[in-house]
Amino acid sequence: MRQLAAFTKKEFMEIIRTGKVYILLILFVIFGIMSPAIAKLTPWMYDMLADSMKDQGITIGKTVVTALTSWQQYYKNMSMEFIAFVVMFCGVLTLEYQKGTLINMLTKGLPRWKVIVSKYLAVLISWSICYLLCFGITYGYNAYFWDNSTAKHCVFAAFTSYLFGLWLISLIMLFSSLLNTSTAVLLATGLMYAVVLLLGMIPKLVDLLPTKLTRGVELLAGATKIQDYTLAIVVTIVLIVISGIVTIIHFNHKRI
Amino acid sequence: MEMLTLSNVSKRFGSHQILNDLSFQVSENTIYGFIGENGAGKTTTMKMILGLYSVDSGVIQVNGERVTYGQTNTNRYIGYLPDVPEFYGYMTPTEYLRLCGEITGVAESQIKNRIPELLELVGLEKANKRIQGFSRGMKQRLGIAQALLNKPKILICDEPTSALDPIGRKEIIDILQSIKKQTTVIFSTHILSDVERICDEIGLLHNGTLALNGTLEEIRNMRKSDGFMIEFDKVDDAKNFANIYMGCEFLSGTELSFNGKTKEDMMAAMRLLYENQIYPVKIEMREPTLESLFLEVVSK
Repeated sequence: MRQLAAFTKKEFMEIIRTGKVYILLILFVIFGIMSPAIAKLTPWMYDMLADSMKDQGITIGKTVVTALTSWQQYYKNMSMEFIAFVVMFCGVLTLEYQKGTLINMLTKGLPRWKVIVSKYLAVLISWSICYLLCFGITYGYNAYFWDNSTAKHCVFAAFTSYLFGLWLISLIMLFSSLLNTSTAVLLATGLMYAVVLLLGMIPKLVDLLPTKLTRGVELLAGATKIQDYTLAIVVTIVLIVISGIVTIIHFNHKRI
Repeated sequence: MEMLTLSNVSKRFGSHQILNDLSFQVSENTIYGFIGENGAGKTTTMKMILGLYSVDSGVIQVNGERVTYGQTNTNRYIGYLPDVPEFYGYMTPTEYLRLCGEITGVAESQIKNRIPELLELVGLEKANKRIQGFSRGMKQRLGIAQALLNKPKILICDEPTSALDPIGRKEIIDILQSIKKQTTVIFSTHILSDVERICDEIGLLHNGTLALNGTLEEIRNMRKSDGFMIEFDKVDDAKNFANIYMGCEFLSGTELSFNGKTKEDMMAAMRLLYENQIYPVKIEMREPTLESLFLEVVSK
């Protein structure tokens, strides 16, 4: 327990002292503000365009903006959040291989699984804080400007995206155990995401895949129900557990 | 008692046979110099002792316990200093040593006493800044401090002096010498003068096996002198002296080499220089290089 606490503490020290924490906080605050800001600016932008469009014979009617508009924007931005987060953490293990910093820890008797668990914890807590911050800001602005009750199940929808983030983290850890460079981890995670996205084109698989979890926006508009996500949630959790186990097993035999 | 035993250890990377039936032992409280060319397999051997690489065949035992790959329990007896130790640059030496202490299971009260003690031993007591600003020598010294933290029975140092300037090298050698009584030291190098200064026993790795193994005394008796060299200011001086003292070779216009000559021969040469009023820039007894020792041993 002491080893785990010490190594986890080191992970957080790394996130703070290397300045990662500031980049993450700034990014996710911006993401949080962006959705309501864009929604708020939409009518104004349309007004600006209206005159020139009129000359071309296009008339723009009055645009009505609600909390739903802002939430829709929130889910559109989500992919950028995923990418930013994966880029920030794709070197979580590989940088240690490259620098050789882990060798000292392992030869001091740190069990290998504790390295993985500590890193998992650090990345997971970072993701939770970032996501909560981003969601909280959007939620707050939406409540202030409009009314969040127009968007159905907005907390549950947010949870599905959060869970998708956890799946991406499990991929980062899995590929970090299997591969040796940050670029390879980044590419493999991206490739895996693309594969799942392609599989999602098969209608029978849509409700099974983790990518279903990124479509929380459909829930807000009432196009889907909470139950429709059950299968995808179960599958994602199973995938996370499996990749966690594979990560640890492979890391135990990795030449470092 | 044997602290480390390697029995018939072999290791291959792809088609390249690194170690071939390597066997040797290191007894308690000795300093064992592990020498060999770059790429001879010194680091590979050390990493296998640490369980970082698997063993293809053979057995490694540390303090009587067999070393296993991956989860390596025998590492609790070992302090390890890698060739280029890498630390978390955002930590201070005290923070890093504390992390090491917590991971290796040193009691909290001991950590508090031991950290200042070790920092003083390696001369880093005043360096309370982040490790990223450290020079190579400072990192090497911190490396020794972390390796000694849990009072290991064996200290394994992988070329601790190779990357350092002469002052840094001397400091590391002095530190190793000062801990000689507390722990068994195994240290790899290709700098022969370092080995001569502190090692009790030597093993020379060549072609994946020990071409030479024994105490420093035994090795010294095998060695032949390499002679001496004289460097002159002017080309004419060199030519003149070559005519006076026969049996030398020109290394360059102003440098003469006297191969295979003894200390007495060098004294005679100095006398001749004085008598003929020839002014040398440099006279040097040539230390046998690793290469010459190596060739002597391998060609036997």
